[in-house]
Amino acid sequence: MHISDGILEPQWCIFWYAISAIFIALGLRIINKRIKDDPSYLPRISLIGAVVFVISVWHIPVPVTGSSSHPVGTPLASIIIGPFATVVVSAIAIFFQTFVGHGGLTTIGANTFSMGIVGTFSGYIVYRMLKNISPLWFSAGMAGFVGSMLTYITAALELALSLNPGNVVYYWKLYAMGFIPTQLPLCVAEFAFTGYVIKHISETKPEVVAPAGARLDRFTKIALMLMILITSLLAIGAYLGHLRGSDMAGTDSIVGALAAPGAISNGIGVRLMARFGEPVGFALVGIIGGLVTGYYWDALKGRKSDD
Amino acid sequence: MIEWLTLDPLNGIATTIGFFISLIIGRYLRLWRERNMRGKMTDPRIKILISFLLITAITVMKHWYLPIAIAILCIAFAAKLRIIRDYGKKLIFPLVLALFIFIAQGFTYGVNAIHLGIISVYSEGLNYGFLIFSRVFASASILLLLAITTSENELLESMRYFRVPKTLLEISSFMVRYIKTFSSEGKQLKLAQESRCGFPKNAGFTKKMRNVASLLGALITRAFARSEEVYRAMLSRGWKPELRYSINTQPLDKRDLILGIMLSSGILVLLGLDRLV
Repeated sequence: MHISDGILEPQWCIFWYAISAIFIALGLRIINKRIKDDPSYLPRISLIGAVVFVISVWHIPVPVTGSSSHPVGTPLASIIIGPFATVVVSAIAIFFQTFVGHGGLTTIGANTFSMGIVGTFSGYIVYRMLKNISPLWFSAGMAGFVGSMLTYITAALELALSLNPGNVVYYWKLYAMGFIPTQLPLCVAEFAFTGYVIKHISETKPEVVAPAGARLDRFTKIALMLMILITSLLAIGAYLGHLRGSDMAGTDSIVGALAAPGAISNGIGVRLMARFGEPVGFALVGIIGGLVTGYYWDALKGRKSDD
Repeated sequence: MIEWLTLDPLNGIATTIGFFISLIIGRYLRLWRERNMRGKMTDPRIKILISFLLITAITVMKHWYLPIAIAILCIAFAAKLRIIRDYGKKLIFPLVLALFIFIAQGFTYGVNAIHLGIISVYSEGLNYGFLIFSRVFASASILLLLAITTSENELLESMRYFRVPKTLLEISSFMVRYIKTFSSEGKQLKLAQESRCGFPKNAGFTKKMRNVASLLGALITRAFARSEEVYRAMLSRGWKPELRYSINTQPLDKRDLILGIMLSSGILVLLGLDRLV
């Protein structure tokens, strides 16, 4: 998702340049330190950078649409050479891509931020989080999916901030929704592509990527399946309710009357939800509940943990 | 019909004087260029700097007239260089995004609705959307002309002149050197796979993706192997991490400098015109 010259207002071009410059400076510092200890690191990251550039302009098949498009490539690079080196390499790649009609000179900062920083770090974090609890191909694939998706969402935010500063959230959603028909299939393609490439490399040259991750255990599989099942049921229920004209009115009053009739109407929970919005509040409730239950699960079941 | 001649002759006088003085200056510029710049290419540093300044100026323009005029000039220049097809192909991507923004703005931004049957558009959104479209059209046109007339090595040399950090420059040099190598290696690998019945046209998404992934995975492992060879070659030529390169680059030619100042002044005039309109 390259933003061309002429789209962003000058102050936003400068802002994204400044943010990206901080990350590039950090990346260069880390690279220089690493080169001092291992001088062969310089040609290694450079050549990997060149390959990532080639990959990012390579046509990959896109599902549903039946066409082909270019992957973002930065989540893949972050798994192989690390996130900070990827930021530097992607900034250089974005600079050279401007000369083949992708992006622009004044928007190098914005494009580096969306693809090189958000795409890289989100992909890398997802990979690190999933690496030890899922197969290597899945964790790499999810890194590709999340990295690609967040790249588009960030690009949409950059557009909304610059073009419609008076109504950022509405236009952010609008641009993100506009990208979905083309970018969602591409994210799925990026999932398959990153997963397969990392699987292939781990089989042919395992030292390039970290050792293969553990398989999903039964507990994790059941939890993930239940999560998908319940979320789907809720989404279907909400949609059916919406079709019948209820417009997702919610069950606040019923729950309030039945489950907590004596609750304080302006308690800390209510105030926090009013401040941060209901979805964040409910997510927080889910996170705390899940963490506590997960932590004491084995004790509750009366047996020791598998590992 | 010609009331202005008797009632308000100032506009006519201003136009006439402006036209003839520009005509004389234009002729002298042409003569100066032919005398001083014959057979000489413009310095890439000047080209990059002027392109950057012009693109920045276009980004701050408030009206679409000048960006569209600049884009038309660029198209004419591309036609003169006989690169119009390549130029047109590369222009598609930025224009698609600009068109998307134009449509999004036209349908959602503003208060003065224009009803077109079952749909309504907003005049403010259309104006702003078209301004963005014209800016993208002009900026992309300039950038593509710069790309077509400047080689990667010239770009790297200019980066050295603009004091880009050494490590960044070294990585860039390697990347420029190996992008073409890996690109052609990738094509060779694909051809080899195709000749062994890989990449069948009727294959499903999973099969196709596996084929592409194995090819690009092989390219990455090759890059690792080659980086070891490159490192050994660098050591054998006396390379050390603490090696410092001379930052003395060729100074700018006086004629290029004059050209740069003239073009920068022209950009300022364009900005002034945009504000006056």
